[in-house]
Amino acid sequence: MNTFYYYRRLIGSAPWSWCGDLGGITLSVLFETIPGLLAREFFNGLSGAAPARLNLSTIIVLLVLLRLPWVLSIVALSMTSTTFVYTAGALLRTNMFRHILHRPGAQALPASPGEAISRFREDVDETLWDLIRFNDLVSFMVFAIVGFAIMVRTNILITIAVFLPLVLVTLLTQQVRRRLESYRAASRASTGDVTGFLGEILGAAQAVQVAGKEDSVVRRFSHLSEQRRTAGLRDKLFSQLLESISTNTVNLGTAVILLFAAQQMKTGRFTVGDFALFVYYLGRISDFTSLFGVLLARYRQAGISFARMVTLLKGAFPGDLVAARPVYTRGPFPTIPQPVRVPHEQLQRLEVLGLSFHYPSSGHGIDDVDLDLPAGSFTVITGRIGSGKTTFLRTLLGLLPAERGHIRWNDQPVSDPATFFVPPHSAYTPQVPRLFSDTLKDNLLLGLDETGVDLQQALSLAVLEDDLRQMPAGLDTVVGTRGVRLSGGQIQRAAAARMFVRDAELLVFDDLSSALDVEVEAQLWERLFARHHQVPVTCLVVSHRRAALRRADQIIVLRDGRVVARGRLDDLLASSLDMQQLWASGDRHAGAEQQQAEHENL
Amino acid sequence: MHPPRTHYGSLLRDYVWPQRQRVVLLSGALLTSIALQIANPQVLRYFIDTAQQNAPTHLLIAAALLFLCGALLNQVATVAATYFSELVGWTATNNLRTQLLDHVLHLDRSFHADRTPGELIERIDGDVAALANFFSQFVIQIVGNLLLCAGVIVVVGVIDGWIALALAATSVVMFTLLLRLQRIAVPARLAGRQSSADLFGFIEERLGGTEDLRSNGAIPYTMLRLYQLMRRRLHLERRAAVRGAGAFTTTTVFSAVYVAIAFILIKRHVLLGTMTIGTAYLIFFYTQTLMHPITLISRQLEDFQKAAAGILRIDELLQIHSALSVGPGVPLPDGPLSVEFDNVSFGYDTDDAVLTSIGLSVGAGRVLGILGRTGSGKTTLTRLLFRLYDPTAGALRLGGVDLRDASLAELRERVGVVTQEVQLFHATIRENLTFFDDTISDRRILAVLDRLGLQAWYARLSHGLDTMLASGSSGGLSAGEAQVLALVRVFLKDPGLVILDEASSRLDPATEQLVEQAVDALLTGRTGLVIAHRLQTVLRADDILILENGGKAEYGRRTALQDDPTSRFSHLLRVGLDEVLV
Repeated sequence: MNTFYYYRRLIGSAPWSWCGDLGGITLSVLFETIPGLLAREFFNGLSGAAPARLNLSTIIVLLVLLRLPWVLSIVALSMTSTTFVYTAGALLRTNMFRHILHRPGAQALPASPGEAISRFREDVDETLWDLIRFNDLVSFMVFAIVGFAIMVRTNILITIAVFLPLVLVTLLTQQVRRRLESYRAASRASTGDVTGFLGEILGAAQAVQVAGKEDSVVRRFSHLSEQRRTAGLRDKLFSQLLESISTNTVNLGTAVILLFAAQQMKTGRFTVGDFALFVYYLGRISDFTSLFGVLLARYRQAGISFARMVTLLKGAFPGDLVAARPVYTRGPFPTIPQPVRVPHEQLQRLEVLGLSFHYPSSGHGIDDVDLDLPAGSFTVITGRIGSGKTTFLRTLLGLLPAERGHIRWNDQPVSDPATFFVPPHSAYTPQVPRLFSDTLKDNLLLGLDETGVDLQQALSLAVLEDDLRQMPAGLDTVVGTRGVRLSGGQIQRAAAARMFVRDAELLVFDDLSSALDVEVEAQLWERLFARHHQVPVTCLVVSHRRAALRRADQIIVLRDGRVVARGRLDDLLASSLDMQQLWASGDRHAGAEQQQAEHENL
Repeated sequence: MHPPRTHYGSLLRDYVWPQRQRVVLLSGALLTSIALQIANPQVLRYFIDTAQQNAPTHLLIAAALLFLCGALLNQVATVAATYFSELVGWTATNNLRTQLLDHVLHLDRSFHADRTPGELIERIDGDVAALANFFSQFVIQIVGNLLLCAGVIVVVGVIDGWIALALAATSVVMFTLLLRLQRIAVPARLAGRQSSADLFGFIEERLGGTEDLRSNGAIPYTMLRLYQLMRRRLHLERRAAVRGAGAFTTTTVFSAVYVAIAFILIKRHVLLGTMTIGTAYLIFFYTQTLMHPITLISRQLEDFQKAAAGILRIDELLQIHSALSVGPGVPLPDGPLSVEFDNVSFGYDTDDAVLTSIGLSVGAGRVLGILGRTGSGKTTLTRLLFRLYDPTAGALRLGGVDLRDASLAELRERVGVVTQEVQLFHATIRENLTFFDDTISDRRILAVLDRLGLQAWYARLSHGLDTMLASGSSGGLSAGEAQVLALVRVFLKDPGLVILDEASSRLDPATEQLVEQAVDALLTGRTGLVIAHRLQTVLRADDILILENGGKAEYGRRTALQDDPTSRFSHLLRVGLDEVLV
């Protein structure tokens, strides 16, 4: 897949706006050849060097009137170019975003979200604006060809004399331009150092204050700023130099015209009007050559940008990046399918056989885990830190890709767990749940139709009503980025409510109580068991909590990714050393687990 | 809204005046460039007129060469002006940034609690960057380009007053029109920017929560939100582009008007025989020149709007002062510090007390264990000790000195704190330990690592103290390792009082013993305040304080409370070791 392929497909995704842009800019540039011709007519008429073909009033009327279609075409261009960039950009972003969302959820990104976002933003926008500038280049080229033809017809010798230095300077600056790219990169990197350092320091302002190290931090900042100044200055100076070279090409060209015209002007073979025309065209044509140089460099850069975007697809076919797909920039939006329970899919039994997965980086994982969940049962998975509890849940739900093993739902094999284990089949609360900067209600519903669900019951099950009463806006409270305006316990309970409201057949939750207060936690388990008593929904739970262990229909004890014991609590306490130790250390490790999980998720 | 005019003046005085030599050089380069832009076209006039009069060729060639020299000299002047203005701008903004960071780092916690790092970066880096232009270009560009316009009009006026008047009048009309159009274009552009920020904020957040979205069947909903935000961005950015194009096209329409006016007046003169062709061309050339400075001035004024908003926000930031008073700087005694809470009350808001009438005293060298539920005021109690806040009533004394009388710098030098969250930087291990303080030698760091029994841990680091921590709040370290770094930080200060907030909660079993050992070393010969939700952590304390709803629920020697079966502490020990739940 080369840059040309991607560009071709992107043009195909919004062909009309792209063609409109190309046609419009070419037309508008052709209009710009006319003022040069009119100036020649005027000066020729003035000096009497050539017979006047147009009188003054015609020239002036043409001069002003011809600006109107030009203005219209520029305004139209601003529409076509933005439409193209943001429509084709929507395709790239949709494809990347879809791919990431459909990957095993726990391993979706090759880099941090902050890093990935620069691919969604700069890489997409810049490559597409470059494509638009390619249209500018085409139009400038058309101007250059038309202008060149007019100039050759006027005076072939001077035309050649003017164009030679132009070509030479363009070739020369091409070499220099590569240097500029490296200066620019250095300048950007030093800016990144400064803002990165600021972010680190301001994110840990309290630590700096408590350590009493404000001054040494400020000194370091000032040092980094100094480096940034040097890099920024060099970048700016160099680009200014380059710009001045291309400006000077016009002056150089003008001087060349003067030199060559000195003799011919006297003989009348080159008129003042011709001179005005040449100077006017020269400026526009040198725009073409400098843009040509810029775009050549940008084309290389676009290749790098596409490669960076493709890495977000993580091994999928690179062409998927530009695969055709509706992006809904016009017309009605798609409707969200609501989960509907299908009677024959109602859970009777979930079986897992020999499920295995290992993290490529560490080699840790789970080996041959079996599980048998009858409908309505309450199963607890327990084990020490790092024994593979979370990994097992993630692999079962398709959030990690299983290496081996079978999953059967009512004796039917589940071939793609990631697509299957969603509401109405199952719902899940991860150990460190994420909320998003919307209202609390949006966070709970995530697109569910409010009229079809029992939100109050979910809130009550998750012990959130008291908290809600204290929020002035209630369910419409905006929770802030990643839920920062809520406490850790509130985030966890909101995530639990998000799971309950989906009314799924299988509830899977990972260490639900790790960030909760003792009292709230007790309430939560009580309500959950009371509810379970009425409507025996099937639960699969990771927990150390004695409340959960006591209540479990079966307990699965994991150690080093393998099942070492299973059964009811009393039997296990009698027979399993692991279980005895876990029971004794009891609730103590829960906090450490939470921290560990946050660590892994970063 | 504009900041008071004096602010511009004081900004220029504080940050530009110290660089006045550079400013002089800058002005020189700029004036040279303006002069050349006015003078060089005169060579063209001479050339054309001379050619028309059939003069000797060598005169024409000399004129051509003179034109080339003038053009080259102008470029040199332009590059020099750019260099000096950038230099002035960068120096001024860097100084301002440094001052702002210094200011912000000395503000109290209530300031930082209300603001995200991203917001402050925007203030310190973003707003100041908008000012770069104000420092380096604003006056110079405005003055320079006005001079250029005036120069052109005066030179034309010498040739013909009416043409000059017409040019001046059209310039003014065009300039006002441009400002109008910009006023329409700018809000649209801001709306476009905001729609972009919304889109990418959405994407970033969702990328961090793929597990939650996927497993709860929220993918179709998330895609729909993406489509909505992308459509909104398309509409708003398109609107901004169309309005921007309006302002841009105006200038070129006016260039046609300029040329038309010039043509009419030139034609009259030439017919009357009062103007040569060379002069006619000169005026034509000048009218085209005039476009450029007018566009630049209007653009400068637009940048100035941005800078004005930035100045307002910066000023606002500088007006915020720490709520903590500056004491006379009574020195704290050496060695372990006794701690005394004298009827201390505190609330973050005036009507909501977090601590009420706390009175206690911890002898020098003793360890106090603090217990209580989340929200009982434990963390707040310790925050008062290193003056993140001052108490609303009562007094706090360290080694007999009221905290408000000691200097803040010394206080924080003598109190070592391990907070619940260990905050690490994306920097080397050394920088994380020393907080970028170059005066702390490696030998001293290594000695501390030795003292805390961390030689084996240190030996495993790939580049020793130069090992870079990964980005992200955990720094690529395990929770235990982060805790270890926090302990080394405190040890490097050699404080008289150590505060451990929930120190053992982040430990995994592997490093648990390592940290226990380090904590023991740290508490030896120092006063200690240890907070924990878990009872085990408190068992190393000499005294116990149980907080409830911001008040003292129980306070006494640990052993005494442990032996008293009716005490809350002994009850907690029994319940905690047994089962708190259900």
